Amino acid sequence: MTDLALDIRGVSKRYAAHVAVRDLSLSVPRGTVYGLLGPNGAGKTSTIRMILNIIAPDTGTIHLLGRPHSDGAIQDRIGYLPEERGLYKKMAVRDVLRFLAELKGVARRTADARIDEWLDRLALRTPEKDWGKAKVDELSRGMQQKVQFIGTLLHDPELVILDEPFSGLDPINAQALKDTVVDLKRRGKTVIFSTHLMDNAERLCDAVCIIARGEKVLDGAVAAVKSENAGRTVALALEGSASPAVMGVLQDKALVERVDDQSRFFEVELAANADAQVLLRRILEAGARIARFERVQPSLHQIFLQRVGASGVEEGMSGHG
Amino acid sequence: MAKLFAVVKREYLERVRSPWFLIVTLFGPLFFATIMVLPGYLSIRGMRNSGVSQFTVLDATGTGLGERLADRIASRPNTDSLPPALAETVNAMPVVPRPVIEVLTADALAAREAQLVTEVQEKRLVGFLVIDSATVDKGEARYAGRNAGSVGETERIESALRSALLSMRIEAAGISATTAESLTRLRISLSADRITDRGKGGSGLASAFLGGGVAMLLYFSIVFYGQAILRGVLEEKTTRVAEVIVSSVSPDTLLAGKVLGVGAVGLTQQLVWLSSGVFFWTQRGALFKMLGMGAPPPMAFPTVSPTVLVALVLFFLLGYTLYASLFAAVGAMVGSQEEANQASQPVIMLLVFSIIFLQPVLLNPTGRLAQIVSWVPFSAPIIMPMRMTATEIGIGELAAVLAGVLAMCFACVWMAARIYRIGLLMYGKRPSMAELMRWIRQS
Repeated sequence: MTDLALDIRGVSKRYAAHVAVRDLSLSVPRGTVYGLLGPNGAGKTSTIRMILNIIAPDTGTIHLLGRPHSDGAIQDRIGYLPEERGLYKKMAVRDVLRFLAELKGVARRTADARIDEWLDRLALRTPEKDWGKAKVDELSRGMQQKVQFIGTLLHDPELVILDEPFSGLDPINAQALKDTVVDLKRRGKTVIFSTHLMDNAERLCDAVCIIARGEKVLDGAVAAVKSENAGRTVALALEGSASPAVMGVLQDKALVERVDDQSRFFEVELAANADAQVLLRRILEAGARIARFERVQPSLHQIFLQRVGASGVEEGMSGHG
Repeated sequence: MAKLFAVVKREYLERVRSPWFLIVTLFGPLFFATIMVLPGYLSIRGMRNSGVSQFTVLDATGTGLGERLADRIASRPNTDSLPPALAETVNAMPVVPRPVIEVLTADALAAREAQLVTEVQEKRLVGFLVIDSATVDKGEARYAGRNAGSVGETERIESALRSALLSMRIEAAGISATTAESLTRLRISLSADRITDRGKGGSGLASAFLGGGVAMLLYFSIVFYGQAILRGVLEEKTTRVAEVIVSSVSPDTLLAGKVLGVGAVGLTQQLVWLSSGVFFWTQRGALFKMLGMGAPPPMAFPTVSPTVLVALVLFFLLGYTLYASLFAAVGAMVGSQEEANQASQPVIMLLVFSIIFLQPVLLNPTGRLAQIVSWVPFSAPIIMPMRMTATEIGIGELAAVLAGVLAMCFACVWMAARIYRIGLLMYGKRPSMAELMRWIRQS
C-alpha cells in the first residue's frame, strides 16, 4: 500500500481550441489537506475531472490510493463535490441521499443512519422541521449546498475531492465546511480542494499546488513554499490613512516591487536590491506614524500574485479550467 | 451491477410514484373502455335521435310510391339474417316514425316545395323528400333539410327508396305484391374471414383492428417513453447532477439504467392496460347492459400464435431501445427544452415516417409497400407487428427483419453512448454535425 492518496504523472489534456493541462505531475500524501490553486481557466476543473476518470487524459498516468484511477472499485472510496452543483429537484432529500449512497455501494440501513446523523449535524433536521422529507427544490440554496455536501461524504470516503467548495457559500456554511475538512483530516482522510481564495487555502492546507495556464507553477508544503519565497516581504501598518507622500514612497520602483494596498495595512514586496531600513526611513520622513513594520513571510496570496501575476489569468475562459 | 440496479430503481420509482403516471395509467383503461363501447353507444343513440326527425314526402309520382317508401322507412330492419345477439340489439331499438306523405300533382310541386323550405327554415320541419316521375323512371329523388349532411340519414332514405322502387317495378312486371315484398327485403351481411396456413384465423376485420391497435400502442409508447428519457437526460444535464453521478458510475451504466428503468415503467403501464383491456373485453356484455344498450356487437378475438406474440414483444423491446438511445443522445446534445424540441425533430420524423404508412399497410398488408416499410429497421418495430397480425409472415422473413432491427439497435446504442458520454458534461453551444462526429470518434 502506497502512502500517496494521489499520484499524477505527466498528464496533459488538449481540447480542440486550447491546451487545458500541460504535462502536470503532482503527488498528495495520505492524510493531508491539499489545495489546488489557480486563477479561473487555469486547468483546475479539467485536472479534477481527469483524476476522477470523468474525462480521459491525452497522456500521462493517474493513480488514486495506489490504484489506477480507471479501476471501477476505486470510485467507491472517493467523494466528489463538483464545482457546478445540482441535485434532482423533484426528489425528496432523503431519497436523493439514499440514491447517492447506493451508487457508492453503501447498504440502505447504513446509509439511513448516516443520513440522519448528517442532517442533525448540519441542522437540516430539527425538532420543528425535518428537511429530509422535503423535495430538493423546496430548500434554500444554502440548504441544497449542505445536502450536496452530505452526498459527497455519506460513504465515508478515504479521499475527498472538492472543486471550488467555497464558491457561493455564505459565511455560516463556509465555516461548517472548514470544520468538516478539519474533522476529515483528524480522522485520517485526505482532502483535495481547488480554490482561488488564497486565505482559505492558507489556513486549511498542509500542501498546495499552484497552476496557471494548464501548467504547474509551484507545489509543496505550505510552510516550505512560504519560506522559499520569504525575506522580501514587509508588513506595514499606519496610524491613520496614508498621505500622498507615503504613497509616493511605496510606489518607488527602486524600493518596492509590489504593494498590496489595504488602505491602512500594506503588504510590501521589496525590490531586488532594496534595503528594508531605507524603506522605513523614507516612510518616516514622509511624515507617517507607523503602528507596525515587520519583515514577514509572504501570504499565499502574495506568493500567488508574485508567481502567477496578472498574466496568469487568461481572459475569456470561464469557469471550466 | 448493483449500481446499475440503483439507477434503474431510481428511474422506475421516481416515475411510478409521480401523479402523472397514475393519471395516465388509469386513464388508459378508461380510454380502452370508451373506444370499445362508445361507437356502439353513439350509433344507437343516433338511431334513437333520428326517430324524432320525422320528415315529409312530397309524392308527385301518382303511383303510390310515397306510401311504399313510408312503410319501409318506418319498419324495423329484417333481423332474420343477423346473429341472434345483434338481432336482439336491433329489435330493442325504437321504431322510426312514418314520414308524412303528401300526394300532389307535378304542377303544384314547385309552390309546395317553396312553402316547405320556409317551414324548415322556421324549424317546424326537419326536411322533405321530393319524388316525381324522374324517380320512377331514373331513380332520381331529392332531399332537402337541416340534416341533409347526415350520411346515415341519407343512406337510410336511399336504401328504403331503392327497395320501394324495386318492389314497384317487380309488381309492374307481373309478380304479386307479397312476392315482390319478400324479394326486395333482403339484407346482405358479408363476413370476411382471414385464411392462414393453419386454417381460418378469426375475422379479418378484428385482425386489422388488433394490428392497427398494436402499431399505435407501440408508436405512442416509443414516443412517450423516448421523450421521457430525453427529459430525464436533459434534467440531469441542466441541474448538473450528471457530474456527481458519473463520478460514481460510468456514463454507459447511467444510460443503460435510464433506458431500462423507463422501459420497465412502460412495461408496467402496458401490463395494466393490457389486463384491463382484456377485462373490459370479456366483461363488455355486462358493460353494454349497464349502459342500456342490449348485447354488444359480436366480434371474435383474432387468434395470435405464440410466435407472433414473442416477435411482438421483441419488436417492442428493440424498437423502444433503439429510439430511447436516440432520444438520450439528443438530450445529451442540448442545453434546454427548446433546443431539445428542435434537435429531436429528426428522430420524431423517423417515427412519423412509420406512422404515415400505417393505413396503406393496413389496407394492403401483403403489398410491396408494406413489405418495404416493414423491412426498414426504423419503421419495422411499428409496421411489422401490424403486418404480422394482419397477414401471415414467414419465419425466415421475420428472423431477417428482427436481425436487421437488432443490428440497427446496436449501432444506435453504440453511437448514442458515445454522444452521451461527452455531451453530458458539455455546456453551452449546441454541437454542430462535425463536432458530433468528432465526439463519436474520440470517446
